[in-house]
Amino acid sequence: MDFDTYELDPSVYDEMLLPDGAPRDHCRPLYDALRRMSSEELSGVQERATRSFSHEGISFTVYGEAEAQERIIPIDCLPRLLSGADWRLIESGLTQRLIALNRFLEDVYNEARIVADGVIPADMVRGCPQYRIEMRGFSPPHGVWVAICGTDIVRTNDGFHVLEDNLRVPSGVSYMIANRKVIKSGLRRTYRSARVREVEHYGRLLQATLRELAPSGRSDPCIALLTPGVYNAAFYEHMFLAGEIGAELVEGRDLVVNDGTVYMRTTSGLRRVDVIYRRIDDDFLDPLVFRPDSLLGVPGLLHACKRGSVSLVNAPGTGVADDKSVYAYVPDMIRYYLGDEPILANVETHLCRRPESLEYTLDNLENLVVKRVGESGGYGMLVGPHATPAERAAYAEEVRANPADFIAQPVLALSRAPCLIDGRFEPRHVDLRPFVLNGRQTRIVPGAFCRVALRRGSLVVNSSQGGGGKDLWVLNDQAN
Amino acid sequence: MLVRSAQGLYWMSRYLERARRLCRLLQLQTESLVDRPIREIHFGWSRIYASVNRDPPAGRIELLGSDDYTLADSYTLAGDLTFERSNPDSVWSCFDQGRENARQIRQSISTPMWTQLNLAYLRLQELEMPDIWAVSPESFYADTVAQIDTFVGVAAATMYRGEGWRFMELGRFVERAQLLAALLLAQLDAEQHVEEASDADWTGLLRLCHAFEVYNRRYSVAVQPRQVLDLLVTDPRLPDSLGRSIDRAAEEIDAIGPGPDPDSSGALQRLAGRIGGVIHYQWPDHDDCQALLEQVRTHCYELHDRVTAAYFDYAIEDAPAS
Repeated sequence: MDFDTYELDPSVYDEMLLPDGAPRDHCRPLYDALRRMSSEELSGVQERATRSFSHEGISFTVYGEAEAQERIIPIDCLPRLLSGADWRLIESGLTQRLIALNRFLEDVYNEARIVADGVIPADMVRGCPQYRIEMRGFSPPHGVWVAICGTDIVRTNDGFHVLEDNLRVPSGVSYMIANRKVIKSGLRRTYRSARVREVEHYGRLLQATLRELAPSGRSDPCIALLTPGVYNAAFYEHMFLAGEIGAELVEGRDLVVNDGTVYMRTTSGLRRVDVIYRRIDDDFLDPLVFRPDSLLGVPGLLHACKRGSVSLVNAPGTGVADDKSVYAYVPDMIRYYLGDEPILANVETHLCRRPESLEYTLDNLENLVVKRVGESGGYGMLVGPHATPAERAAYAEEVRANPADFIAQPVLALSRAPCLIDGRFEPRHVDLRPFVLNGRQTRIVPGAFCRVALRRGSLVVNSSQGGGGKDLWVLNDQAN
Repeated sequence: MLVRSAQGLYWMSRYLERARRLCRLLQLQTESLVDRPIREIHFGWSRIYASVNRDPPAGRIELLGSDDYTLADSYTLAGDLTFERSNPDSVWSCFDQGRENARQIRQSISTPMWTQLNLAYLRLQELEMPDIWAVSPESFYADTVAQIDTFVGVAAATMYRGEGWRFMELGRFVERAQLLAALLLAQLDAEQHVEEASDADWTGLLRLCHAFEVYNRRYSVAVQPRQVLDLLVTDPRLPDSLGRSIDRAAEEIDAIGPGPDPDSSGALQRLAGRIGGVIHYQWPDHDDCQALLEQVRTHCYELHDRVTAAYFDYAIEDAPAS
């Protein structure tokens, strides 16, 4: 197959090709291999990948008006490549960022120096719905509030930018591994010669991380993964990870708290649980403390966590650090706690709570992406250039009514990567979500869940909004 | 093991066993549509509905003297038992429930087991009644049985023989015992309502349990209902027999060992032993088969309740903690 009809736009970074149509150096072997393959061969790879997902039930759940549906995340068979140098930059940038974010969380729930020193407005922290007053005075093992994070990174012609830190219950790591498994078997020879760094040992690193965070004195901790259950969109991932780390997959109803200690109900009685990798939002964790109507949680869980008999990972209350407004201050946090300049840039962000930013946002709605502070997953946002005037006007009303609930960012020219669409190579916008683990040390597998907006021209990569996935190959080019 | 996982395995297994048994019944029944007299076809449908304890869609099965009507009615009845979503015991529903249970505890079964079950499920999702009826409904049912048998074989080849395996086996044999007891009672009951019993009604039962050849070798090609019953109830070498199902269930209960509450665990073990006693020691010298089968069936339902009490629904206050 050739790239003759492949569209290049100099204002958008292409992950494989230079503006003149020649392949980037690190992409040349893949480029050559793709040109040697026929359209039928590649379509075959694509079909086998999709079929294998369907047979293995690698799915997520979408909630429509009528009923929940199990769906496959569409996969594009062309891998996205990252050079070793690009990866090293991302790796050091993410490590720096997570260290600062953990310092921030330990600080705001204890002394709150950063607020006292006027770096971040007090009302922005304490007024954030994700700030959990119940966690004040708490300090998790080793000061690790966020042990597992999945950071969304995009690339433009100006380099990499962090779009979002997901510090609560980030998902997608199972798709990183599933995509790798099917693509490497589909493109076996190309894969072998490309010297791709492995990602499939993620489970081992995750287990090591969770063990390090066990309460002191529990040398052989019992680890459980707490899922909201089979109806959760990410249930496949919960099941997969539990298997990878050798943890019991539990629901709230499987756990009981007795005398401040957490147990699970087994067929031979109660067994103590030491570490809970929870994939349930704070709100639903403990009906005695958070939402009283939660059926997913465990009464007394927060009390057990605060007295240190069980470690909740990530700790409750981390959402205050990935709030879309607080996000704007992460570069300042890095400077404040570490005395360093941020390695990875933020996206320019206008906080509508500030009058001048509100005015700017409303005046430039057609050029901005406006997001609701409390939403995620691509819900509740306005992509200005793609909206109709009526939609913009309606949205502007909402922004005016509650400015503090909104932030605005420029529409980024997200980089594009070639995808196999209807038997041809076509460019589509992509981002990447690497996963960072933090126990006593930071661990990152060299890879990411690469999301792709499969609809032509679309910038929205979320799985719930028609996005798909790609395998991402970090190349081992240290020797070169 | 986690209570919910044990329960999921137990129920997965029960639903698949239920689907398997129903498919076997429907396989033989749709075979009979090709050449058997209407009376026999009618008898077959009545027996199936009685054994699953369900009313046919029209309330009762009409015996009309015409082939056309019988075939049209059979289509409706087979559809009701195969694809009807609102029938909780239809093949479709059993698969749906079996697979849903498996999905929830997927980390407790092997990957090949999950893949096999999911493939079988996806195949069923793509079919409708007209697809299976047009050519050969009996081969659809035979294929479905083979899919479940393959799943059981894959499980035997790949699953770790821990507690999870035990609960899966326990579920299968509890279900099998309940189904066979109900079917044999349905047979005896349906017989009382026909003027002249036919050998084919009994040989059908033997075929259903893969016991036809064994019967012919052991007894004779002449069918004696009491001998058929003896074989299906007591023979420990017949995989589908009541006796073997109960013995296997008892073995699994022994292997799992006591649950958190010694009282309910003891009651469970005693009950399993008691059913075995009825089958092995009372049945051979007893004339009233119907009464004894009623007793066994009641005990089999009770067995499920005792399993639940011993391992799943124990009171947390009484449970030892470790």
